[in-house]
Amino acid sequence: MSAAGNEYVIETRGLVKRYGKLVAVDDLWLQVPRGAIYGFVGPNGAGKTTTMRILATLIPPTAGEAFIDGYSVTGYPREVRRRIGYMPDFFGVYDDMKVWEYLDFFAACYEIPARERPALIDDLLALVDLTHRRDDMVEKLSRGMKQRLSLARTLAHDPDVLILDEPASGLDPRARIEVRELLVEMARMGKTIFFSSHILADVAEICTHLGIIEAGNLVAQGTVEEIRRQLLPVREITIALLDRVEDARRILREMTGVAQVRDLPDEGGRKRLRVDFTGDDAALSALLQALAQRGLPVVTFSEEMRDLESVFMRATRGIVS
Amino acid sequence: MTGRAAAWRRGTGLLLRNPVMVKELRGRMRGARAFSVLTIYLTLLGVFAVLVYIAVTESSTSVSGQADVGEIGRTLFGGVVAVEMLLIAFLAPAFTSGAISGEREHQTFELLRATLLPAYALVLGKLTSAMLYVLLLLLAAIPLQSIAFFFGGVSETELLLALVVLSVSALFFCSVGVYFSARSWRTLSASLLALGVTLFFMFGLPLLVGMIWLLADFSLDSVGGSAFEVAMLYGTGAVLSLNPPATALLTQYLLVNRHTAGLFSYTLVNGDSVTLIAPWIPFTVFYLALAGIFLFLAVRRVHVVME
Ligand SMILES: Nc1ncnc2c1ncn2[C@@H]1O[C@H](COP(=O)(O)OP(=O)(O)O)[C@@H](O)[C@H]1O
Ligand SMILES: [Mg+2]
Repeated sequence: MSAAGNEYVIETRGLVKRYGKLVAVDDLWLQVPRGAIYGFVGPNGAGKTTTMRILATLIPPTAGEAFIDGYSVTGYPREVRRRIGYMPDFFGVYDDMKVWEYLDFFAACYEIPARERPALIDDLLALVDLTHRRDDMVEKLSRGMKQRLSLARTLAHDPDVLILDEPASGLDPRARIEVRELLVEMARMGKTIFFSSHILADVAEICTHLGIIEAGNLVAQGTVEEIRRQLLPVREITIALLDRVEDARRILREMTGVAQVRDLPDEGGRKRLRVDFTGDDAALSALLQALAQRGLPVVTFSEEMRDLESVFMRATRGIVS
Repeated sequence: MTGRAAAWRRGTGLLLRNPVMVKELRGRMRGARAFSVLTIYLTLLGVFAVLVYIAVTESSTSVSGQADVGEIGRTLFGGVVAVEMLLIAFLAPAFTSGAISGEREHQTFELLRATLLPAYALVLGKLTSAMLYVLLLLLAAIPLQSIAFFFGGVSETELLLALVVLSVSALFFCSVGVYFSARSWRTLSASLLALGVTLFFMFGLPLLVGMIWLLADFSLDSVGGSAFEVAMLYGTGAVLSLNPPATALLTQYLLVNRHTAGLFSYTLVNGDSVTLIAPWIPFTVFYLALAGIFLFLAVRRVHVVME
């Protein structure tokens, strides 16, 4: 049943969740590859939390299937729970507990033997930089610290997959950066990270994969690069040359993937061209090589980076009011 | 085979080192709170015992000129047990009525449901931690009850049976608390419902029995017949065995006057005799069964996937 060789650690097939007439998740096909940092992005009410709660075995889907590491969330909930660390979009914190007791309690709930827990707790606290708050009451921690403690909790049973619902929301900028660094650190530890956000800028910097959800539908899914290309079919390349603009223009027009070549105003004595390009990175590299091989005096060759936020706006344009 | 052994080990592990129980006990025993409850409880009991002592010595000396020492001991003992029972009726359901609803209110219920902790372990962990605290209260009162031994008139059997009736009552009341906590989204409503059920079993039932007796008096005249008398006897006995104070009183009465804690024979109006049983036995069976039912329903409630 288990398939360590599963390409996708998280996979949903036609997942649907209805609340009465409201369709919260509508025919969702998620594919999260092993080791990915997958940003699950969409505006409020898009169905992110609902999807994550289904994946965490907390609510059953109305239709469709969801798998963690090949295990169906409805058929094998315990196997799924063993493999995931789930952090909801709120802090669940007891008001009469010390920091170490909090981790000890959840480790025990994950059936970690008592003798292994002290060392585990020390490791977890060190990881989230809370060692000095070990004996403080949980309720006394700041919001950022509580969030880090929650992250430590999700790691208690060494799960393969972390499902984190809006881990950076409601935090001050500094705490936000700390959480982001922690996610990267966890990915380095070999965890697959599936996390949600309603702010694309929060996820764009660290994720390898993106899924953009809108009204229960996936608008786009894939690597960050793929999404960019899918949503921005044309990449804009700026080339600056010392001379021989005509040759350059002719060569460029013959290359595959080049949609259009336009002149840009000179800048500091350099001639500049703007290429609308539809190929991938390999094709782009070939383009530069072609220019260099013909001995053209290329000074700079760069892609105009449109930030993902504009991609996102474009992806969800017209769907949200 | 190994699967069953592992499951068994996990089952016993969850009972003996239930993470919820450990967590609850840590919280309950932290700081001064647990000990202030214990202190207040013992002070109340002590003050009451002194009052009973004064009242009994005054009344018994005034009648016979000399105190019946055994009577003083028995009254003192009975008084302390009565107050313990009253306190437990209020404390036991209160200890558990936040068990599940409190987790919901702290938003920790979702976290627990995402772990490997089974529903029954959550319910049993909450129950055992509350029961251990109740048992602590009961054991702490034993020295006070033992003062009665100085006066005589009280046997170890009485002490033991009182402890059984008190513990079984507490277990039932705690289970009621857990059940309503699992049903309610708010601890407040769980507390009120649990207290309502507790008060019904403590005080509502005796009222009911009183009314039955009134009715029975009329009908005994009109119907008569020993079969009816036997039916009334068993029926009333069964209802009395659902009430902790009545069970405690009757059990003590039988122990003192009939020297039995088990079976005894009772002579009917027509001279036949029937065998009856000391009420603490059916009481224990009833209450354990009822507690089991409430716990089962609580586990089912917790298990149901909330949407
Ligand atoms: N328990 C529920 N009952 C009814 N509607 C719900 C429930 N949970 C979520 N919804 C609805 O489902 C939609 C998706 O919600 P949610 O998954 O929380 O979105 P997101 O996390 O992306 O903001 C929303 O319209 C929300 O109101
Ligand atoms: Mg949400």
